[in-house]
Amino acid sequence: MAFWRRFVRSRSALLGLAVLTIVVVAAATAPIAFSGSPFRRVDQPFLPPFGSYLFGTDVLGRDVAAGIAHGARTSLMIGLLATVGAMVVGTVMGGVAGYYGGLVDDVLMRVTEFFQTIPTFLFAILLVAILAPSIKSIVIAIAVVSWPAVARLVRGEFMAMRSREFVQACICLGMSDRRVIFRHILPNCLSPIIVTGSLIVATAILIESALSFLGLGDPNTMSWGFMIGAGRTFLRTAWWLCTIPGIAILLTVLAINLLGEGLNDTLNPRLRNR
Amino acid sequence: MILTRILRCCLVVALAGLALMPDTASGQKRGGTLVMLVQPEPPTLASYLSTSGPIGQVTTKVYEGLLEYDFNLKPIPGLAQSWTVSGDGKTISFKLHKGIKFSDGKPFTSADVKFSVLEVLKKFHPRGAITFRDVVDIETPDEHTAVFKLANPAPYLMMALSGYESPMLPKHLFEGTDIKNNKQANSPVGTGPYKFVEWQRGQFMRFDRNPDYWKKGRPYLDRFVARFVADSATRTAAIEKGEAHVGGFGAIPYSDVKALARLPQIEATTRGYEMQSPIVQLDFNTTRPPFDNQKVRQAVSYAISRKFVIDNVWFGFGKPATGPINSNFAVAGLYTPSVKSYNVPNGVEVANKLLDEAGLRRGPNGIRAEIVHDITPYGEEWQRYGEYVQQVLAEIGIKATLRHEDVPTWLRRIYTDYDFQLTNNWIQTLADPVIGVHRLYHTNSIRPGVVFVNGSRWASPRTDQLMDMATVEPDPAKRGVLYKELQQLVVEAAPLVWVHELQFVTVYNKQFKDLIVSPLGLYAPFDRVHLDK
Repeated sequence: MAFWRRFVRSRSALLGLAVLTIVVVAAATAPIAFSGSPFRRVDQPFLPPFGSYLFGTDVLGRDVAAGIAHGARTSLMIGLLATVGAMVVGTVMGGVAGYYGGLVDDVLMRVTEFFQTIPTFLFAILLVAILAPSIKSIVIAIAVVSWPAVARLVRGEFMAMRSREFVQACICLGMSDRRVIFRHILPNCLSPIIVTGSLIVATAILIESALSFLGLGDPNTMSWGFMIGAGRTFLRTAWWLCTIPGIAILLTVLAINLLGEGLNDTLNPRLRNR
Repeated sequence: MILTRILRCCLVVALAGLALMPDTASGQKRGGTLVMLVQPEPPTLASYLSTSGPIGQVTTKVYEGLLEYDFNLKPIPGLAQSWTVSGDGKTISFKLHKGIKFSDGKPFTSADVKFSVLEVLKKFHPRGAITFRDVVDIETPDEHTAVFKLANPAPYLMMALSGYESPMLPKHLFEGTDIKNNKQANSPVGTGPYKFVEWQRGQFMRFDRNPDYWKKGRPYLDRFVARFVADSATRTAAIEKGEAHVGGFGAIPYSDVKALARLPQIEATTRGYEMQSPIVQLDFNTTRPPFDNQKVRQAVSYAISRKFVIDNVWFGFGKPATGPINSNFAVAGLYTPSVKSYNVPNGVEVANKLLDEAGLRRGPNGIRAEIVHDITPYGEEWQRYGEYVQQVLAEIGIKATLRHEDVPTWLRRIYTDYDFQLTNNWIQTLADPVIGVHRLYHTNSIRPGVVFVNGSRWASPRTDQLMDMATVEPDPAKRGVLYKELQQLVVEAAPLVWVHELQFVTVYNKQFKDLIVSPLGLYAPFDRVHLDK
């Protein structure tokens, strides 16, 4: 409850939460509100928005609003799955390296650095191109390019915790490594991990949109990046095809960032009275 | 009174103006630079080794052919000023223009013709092996006469002698060298109206006027530049602002063409592609279920709305196709519209009925079959087209999953591994059915590893026989009869869906005149292009 009270003190975090809730609701109700495939032709192509269709129709007469709702599902799903993947791998790698140090640390960090030297987005493009575009390969690609940042962060936290007295005490008491790591260190560095995770969700949504924009998305799944990519040739004649999904991406990513910021303020003890 | 005086004044000025006109052969204005947008950048300038589209757009300004063509697809003089075909169709003799020189000063003679055809084109050109397969020898009784000796009559040969399809090369620069790795490849020397100057990779190629061009007074322009701009919106803007003057073959996105054409200084035309004649298709794998069944293939063909695809995916630049031969061949008497028509208003209904007859019943979820639909990786239109087909197939109970791969993977899947069920595609049917059409339907075109041939793997003894007969039939009327039967049989069997005849658009600046003067369009030598003012 104290957490919630601290959280609502930040207006921007609340705003982020509100926007994100709307996106989640849209995603959750998409199959009911817009039943059938979002690729289905519903009417004449290029009907302007706010007429018989809320956001108009696109080049093949598809309902843009249906695309936005179904695209929200894709974006959130990919964002969450990729983030969970990146968090698990990153936490394990970073945790092991930070806790044991020495040779283990050296080896794991060199591996992490190897991944960090490749430009993130180019690496993602490469992976998707090799694995053939599908939801699965996009999730894998985003997770693969996102985990090193988590690993570095977790390693730093673990190293700092490792030398703290209560951890030293635990070790002296003869606790197993597993118990020290999971019962005592991990809970104490959870807050920066959560904050980083929320930002990775936002980045993942952007990477997915960029991949789809370049035509590397799953051709059978509606997504916001795909809608922008398909609509960009008509920017002069049908502005809504790019603008509406663009605004959707902007608002969602902004909301997640605000939320992440709010979580940071709430969870970080040093910022509690800010 | 005053009016008369002003008029008289004007008349005098006008006459003086006429007298001052430059004294060229046909009174056209000399000078100017034409900038053409070529997309994508050609990988090489060896047009005798590769038929990749953009190569021809630049090399035809340097290399010429024995013949050119008029809009009735009839040969007209090129490097050859006249020709005679013997009664049995097995001897064709060309009389070459006198005084033609390559741009390095060496004369062009019948020896160059013999060398180009027998030593280069027949051996290395991707289509040359077919085009010149019956040419057993070329006799050169004198410097200006080349006599083609054929094993069989080859009426299609006369359609394949343009500078685009069969460039005439300088023997003295190629003889005794490794043709595939000749260093002349990217600094071509030809007889054409322009001389190659430089190629800045990723930016432009420059060609300057050839002052010794054999057509006196031509070309009228000082310079021809090919520019390479990767981004389509930038290309549109370059044409709009007058930085570039002409672009074709899809260099300008279809969605921008209409807006550009409304500008007073811009003209858009679909002429000049009559010797390409591309057809947009859906290719079935006729050896795998469900498309091994003719009725299922016909059902898909019925379900596709040609009008929707043309209007919404290609923005009106197309014409419903009726079968394997493009209606551009009507002027040559080789096309017939009297075939089974799949372009009917109640297509989806007919399709559902046919599928029921074929025994492909709907399951409890309304699905008759599940397939994968491959998308040809040549750009956005193809993806939209794939999405449309996916929706139409859903309406007739076929659940299609789209698959999008890169060009080499797709080519291997369709033409080597045959690991597909349905793909969208397009094929240029070129200047004669023997060169452009037979390759898609003949048994001997089922050649794993060779791209853009019979990947559907449908063939029948009768259609093979018809094509073999048409190949050697010199009488155009009799060829027409053979092709009529071929079209009827192939359309009935439906190894492909012929959706529409794709119309390329050339967008150009009106200050240039006589740009598109033949069915070769942008593949013409551009010796007649001139500035208006």
